[in-house]
Amino acid sequence: MGNTRSKKLEEYLVRETTLILSMVALGLVQLSLLPTPLGSPPALLLVLVVCRVLLGIGSGTIFADSGIEGAARWAFYGGLILDIGSATPLGSHALALLGAVIVVAVGTARLRVDGPFLPLLSVLVGSLVYEVVLTILVYNQFITLDEWYMYGINIIFPSVLLTLIPALPLFFLLRWMFRVP
Amino acid sequence: MRNYLDDQPINLAGSTPRRPLLMALTLCVLALMLFFADSLGFMTPVRGPLEWALRPVAQQLTSWRNGVLTVTTTITSVPQIRAENEALKRRISQLEDELIAREQALAENTRLRQQLGIEEEHPWRLLGAEVAIRFPDAGRRVILIARGHKAGIEPGMAVISQTDSGPTALVGIVEEVGLYMASVLLITDFGSQVSARVLHERETALGILQGQWQRGSRLRLEQVERGITPRVGDTVVSAGLTRELQLSLPLGSVPGGIPIGTVEAVRSDGYALVAELQPFIDSEQLTYVWVILGQKN
Repeated sequence: MGNTRSKKLEEYLVRETTLILSMVALGLVQLSLLPTPLGSPPALLLVLVVCRVLLGIGSGTIFADSGIEGAARWAFYGGLILDIGSATPLGSHALALLGAVIVVAVGTARLRVDGPFLPLLSVLVGSLVYEVVLTILVYNQFITLDEWYMYGINIIFPSVLLTLIPALPLFFLLRWMFRVP
Repeated sequence: MRNYLDDQPINLAGSTPRRPLLMALTLCVLALMLFFADSLGFMTPVRGPLEWALRPVAQQLTSWRNGVLTVTTTITSVPQIRAENEALKRRISQLEDELIAREQALAENTRLRQQLGIEEEHPWRLLGAEVAIRFPDAGRRVILIARGHKAGIEPGMAVISQTDSGPTALVGIVEEVGLYMASVLLITDFGSQVSARVLHERETALGILQGQWQRGSRLRLEQVERGITPRVGDTVVSAGLTRELQLSLPLGSVPGGIPIGTVEAVRSDGYALVAELQPFIDSEQLTYVWVILGQKN
C-alpha cells in the first residue's frame, strides 16, 4: 500500500517536473525565439493552454475532464516563467492565462470541436481575456474609457490578431500529439 | 514526453468531479497571492536567483533568433537591395551628367575668359570652336572644327589658339567651309604658306612661312630678306601680306602680328636665308581654337 502510494507520488513528481521544464522551454521560446512582427511575439503559451482546454472537451460536463486541469497547470507554470522572464509581477501572466483557460472552458464546455472555427474563436476570446487581465494587472494606468479604447485599438487588437496566426497549426499539432480523435 | 504531458488523472487523495474547477481556482488564488506578494516586494529574494538562472539561456536564444532574423532579412531584402541599387545607379548617372555639364560650363567659361583676354589685347573679332576631328587624313595636317558657314566662317580666315604658358599663336587657316563644319589647314602642313616676319631686335625681315610636316620637320621660313640676320630665339609673326604676295591660296584674311613661333636654326640659301622654326602651339594638343572673323574696326 505504502509502496504504491510512494510510486504514485514519484510518478506525479516526475510528471510535474517534466511539465515545468517543458513550460520553461516554451516560455523561453516565446520570450526569445519567436519573431516580433508587430513589436511583440505571438502569445505561444496562451494558444497552447487554450488548445489544451479544447482537447479535453466533449464530455458534456464543465470541468469533468483532465483537459481543464492540465491546461490550468500549464497556465500557472508557463505564466510564472513569463513573469520571471519579462520582469512583470509574479502571478500576473499566470492569472491572465488562468483567466483565459476558465473562460474558454466555460464557453466551450458543451460544444464539439469539429472544424477550425471553434479553436480560432476560443483563441480569440482567450486572447482578449488574457490581454485585458494583463492590462489591468501590469499596466493599470488606463482609467478612462477613451484610454481603454486607444489601448484596445493600438495594442490589444494587433496582439489578438498575431495570436490567431499560430492557433490552428498548434491546435492540430497538439491534437495529433495527444491522439485526440 | 507525451506520456508525461498527457495529464491522465492521478488519484492521490481521491479526486472528485469538481477537482479541475477547484484546482483552477486554487491556482488563481495562488497566482493572485504571488502577485500581491511580489508587488509588495516579498518575492524579490526568490525572483532574483530565478531571473539570474534564466537570463543566460534567454540571451543565447535571443542571440540565435537575431542571427536567424539577420539572415532572413538579408535574403528577403535582396529585391529591395536590387531596387535600391538600380535607383542609386540612376542617381549616379544623373549626377555624372550634371557633373559633366558643370565641367563643360566651366571649360566654356575658361575659354570665354581666354577669348576676352585675346580680344582685349588684339583688335580681332573672334569665334571660338571645338576641334571636332583631328588629322582625319594622315598625309595632311588638317583639323575639322565644329563651326561653319552658319557661324560666319569663310575660307582664308586665320585660326589661332593659346596654351597656358605661351602666347596666342597662329595654328592654321580655314581651308573649306561647310554649313556647320570647317576644315583648317594647319601651318605645319606642307601645303600651307603664309607671309611672315622675323622680329630681330628693332628690325624685321619678311619671308614666306612654309609647313614642313611631310618633310619631317615643322615650320620653315623661306626667302628671308638679307637685310637682317635672324638669330635663334627670334620671334616670327604673321606679316599680313599674303594677299600682296599674290599666292595661289585663299589666305588673304590673315592679319599681321599673330605670333607663330621662334627661330631654331638659320642657314643661307643663295641670296636668301632660311630659318627653321619652333611653333608656339603644338598642333597635337589642339582642343579649342578661335577663328579671326575680322578686325574690330
